[in-house]
Amino acid sequence: MRKDKNHSFNTPEGYFENFNERLMDNIKKQETEIAEPLIPTNDGFNAPDGYFDDVTTSVLSKTTEKETKVVPLRSNRKLYYGVAAIAAVFMLIFSITWNSNSTSISFDDLVSSEIETYLENNDLDMTMYEVAEIIPLKEIELNNIFSDVLEDDAILEYLNENVDDIDNLYFEDLDHE
Amino acid sequence: MIAEETLVQELKQKESRAQAFEVLVNTYKERLYWHIRRIVLDHDDTDDVLQNTFIKVYKNIDAFKGESKLYSWMYRIATNESLTFLKQKSKKLKVSDQELKDQMVENLRADVYFEGSEIQLKLQKALATLPDKQKLVFTMKYYQEMKYSEISEILETSEGALKASYHLAVKKIETYLKEN
Repeated sequence: MRKDKNHSFNTPEGYFENFNERLMDNIKKQETEIAEPLIPTNDGFNAPDGYFDDVTTSVLSKTTEKETKVVPLRSNRKLYYGVAAIAAVFMLIFSITWNSNSTSISFDDLVSSEIETYLENNDLDMTMYEVAEIIPLKEIELNNIFSDVLEDDAILEYLNENVDDIDNLYFEDLDHE
Repeated sequence: MIAEETLVQELKQKESRAQAFEVLVNTYKERLYWHIRRIVLDHDDTDDVLQNTFIKVYKNIDAFKGESKLYSWMYRIATNESLTFLKQKSKKLKVSDQELKDQMVENLRADVYFEGSEIQLKLQKALATLPDKQKLVFTMKYYQEMKYSEISEILETSEGALKASYHLAVKKIETYLKEN
């Protein structure tokens, strides 16, 4: 233990001899931390070689195959008609004999409650903004409730279905009669 | 690089659509890939989500009104597609969202397209503990080096809130890395 002549404070043995070494170690450590932050700068993900070259082709093939192809019918028109007629006859026969019991389902066959249930149960997770970007307003039929005249019967029917006790409603107009 | 407005116009015209779409795919495929990859983690899943994102963009380009920038609209679609993908996956596997996240990180150990060391794996574990939005903000800022103004347009959140979210995420990740 080393004692200062003018003070009563002590320092551990060899403190000042090791001071420079410890200081330099500390500086080095701090420099390393700056150069290599705690959170790694690379998160380690890779993509397979050549993936980005192939993905364009893959995406484009999926979008272009949906485009309608125009097939010229002028040449061999009679042949096409003949083939089409035979195919139609076969399809008719098969549809009558083989598929007489099967029914094809279209979007129109879905009742609105089924669509609502689907939308409720499947997390579409679309923000209002995205919905607004995708669905153009002009395609939605909106009724202007201020300009449209509602039939009295329709109002009463709505109240009848949606209000528990219709008699408790306060009919302002009736009071004046 | 082709101006965004010109590209949008070309995408909306039938004659130039195919060519413009190819330009669009080539311009954004890498950026969107890394954005999606950092959400769904697995390469094959990322590929599926990336392709779906581009197909949605293609189908809905007529509905794009240009009220936001094209790239932020695409990023938004990619983000929603990725998060929806994860929700559907957890439903399919009958596990909770958190269980799925933990499972995804564990799968990274055997992933040939993840060359992460122990610290990078630990980072993914830390990220899995964050709420979705905080994780998104962090990866977009730290790894994708996006500006707050860009993230703000994509996530429709104010820059102030994003900055707060980012700093909170950094603190949580640092604490996790130090403690584990």
